[in-house]
Amino acid sequence: MEELLSVRGLERRYAERTALRGFDLRISRGEVLGLLGPNGAGKTTCLQILSGNLLPSAGEIRICGLDLGRRPRRAKRRLGYLPERPPLYPEMRVDEYLAYSARLRRIPRRRIGQALEEAKTWCGLAGVGTQLIGRLSKGYRQRVGIAQAIIHQPDLVILDEPTDGLDPVQIREVRDLVRTLAASSGVIFSSHILPEVQAMCTRVMILRDGRVLHEAHLARQPNVHSPGRYRVRLNPASPLTSLTGIPGVASAEALTDDAFRVTLGPGEPADALARRLVEQGLGLIELTPDRDDLEQVFFDILNGEQAA
Amino acid sequence: MISTIARRELRAIFVSPIAWGLLAANALILAWIFLRVLERFSGLEAAQRTAGLTIELGLNLFSFTTVLSMLSVPLLTMRMLSGEFREDTFNLLGSAPVSLTEILLGKFLGIAGPIAVMGLLPLVLALSLSHAVHLDWGLLAAATVGVWLCGLLFGAVGLYASSLSAQPALTAVTAYGMLVLLSVINRGEITGSQAVSLFDWLSWNEHLLWFLFGVVRASDLLYFVLLIGLFLALAHRRLANRRLG
Repeated sequence: MEELLSVRGLERRYAERTALRGFDLRISRGEVLGLLGPNGAGKTTCLQILSGNLLPSAGEIRICGLDLGRRPRRAKRRLGYLPERPPLYPEMRVDEYLAYSARLRRIPRRRIGQALEEAKTWCGLAGVGTQLIGRLSKGYRQRVGIAQAIIHQPDLVILDEPTDGLDPVQIREVRDLVRTLAASSGVIFSSHILPEVQAMCTRVMILRDGRVLHEAHLARQPNVHSPGRYRVRLNPASPLTSLTGIPGVASAEALTDDAFRVTLGPGEPADALARRLVEQGLGLIELTPDRDDLEQVFFDILNGEQAA
Repeated sequence: MISTIARRELRAIFVSPIAWGLLAANALILAWIFLRVLERFSGLEAAQRTAGLTIELGLNLFSFTTVLSMLSVPLLTMRMLSGEFREDTFNLLGSAPVSLTEILLGKFLGIAGPIAVMGLLPLVLALSLSHAVHLDWGLLAAATVGVWLCGLLFGAVGLYASSLSAQPALTAVTAYGMLVLLSVINRGEITGSQAVSLFDWLSWNEHLLWFLFGVVRASDLLYFVLLIGLFLALAHRRLANRRLG
């Protein structure tokens, strides 16, 4: 796969603290990378450096092989960036603004009209071209922000919390748009919403205090059922000992009063567990495979880090 | 790319009522001064007149235009960079394939538009006399160039001030402070001294005076070019430092 972004040893220091350190990254066409992390983890700093708005204290960034530090103008032609707060001028009309963005991205004059129409179609802005940006709803403003980032069909699209403040329908539209973009480019985006990242990304990177704590391919990582591990809910609630005493159960752990994580012994089938729970009259109301979802991974990693 | 940014700036300036209000107020004040000059000049006997009408217009009408432009330009430049910082719209320029020099020159060209219009106001007023009296148009052209150059210098100072903070009002006050300093920097010197000190040289009004007398000197042109360049370079440095955080 063609490598669109290569980052090596990125570091960003401020006088009193280090916002980012030892950051390495490679993105290929078709990949969607989700940056996760609590507030102040360094996500926005990282995206601002990758977009050329902030200079790194150390490290090298190459976009499509072009060094962002040495050849910024050529490298920036290949990237589109939506900051955390869309960079919009409220006194401009949508069409004017997008045409201005297109000219800034050095789209040839004769192609601007077509690029503008395409960006509007992708972002669902077809009916609002003549409206003032200042009069648009938050959702539409976000769409205009995304449209300016993709109007020049960049190879690398950087989106900082693109679904922030959007309603569920709009979130789904952005999700579809990101998938469409990923067909022809690489996408990096940050989000606080874990299911969002899970739904859109092919890879995830978890940051904390400017360091990468975890990196994984989501296609393999999420919703993978750990063999022999199940979640059980009982009604009425029973003590943990009523589960650990069941034949075939290797261990059990209480998640809430009525929910438990049960690990079966090797080769023990789940239907046997269900049958025994029913036979013992424990009031089984739910038996599901225990999945390593992203939320679980996220909190496990952060908690593990805190404990350390 | 410079013209793309300049056009947007020009549009942003004229879409706000501030620019129109300032132009209207300036036109009104200048028209009043113009009538005062005419009234005083026509009320004097020929022997009492110490200077011709063109000189009178230059020293009163055109020189006051620069004072008005000194008061107006910081109000137009205050949002040019600091507004972009405050609204985070600078990220659009920062991630686009545009150099800081292009951004600054585009913005400077944008402010040059209203400055040019403001500088034409006294010339338009003087033109209204063209059918009645003989005026020295060469002198008035030189005075207009002087007024423009002063306006452009104020624009460069305003742009630099605008790069210093994300609070537009604060940057306007900073620009006023710098412009007042550049206006009075030579006042501490002993008057009548023939020696041209650095402070005299730094003061813009010393250089404007020659233009108002119809004299276009290379040294005065150089002064304006150097100072405009200096403030744009300082603004460039400021933007470059901003990327360092």
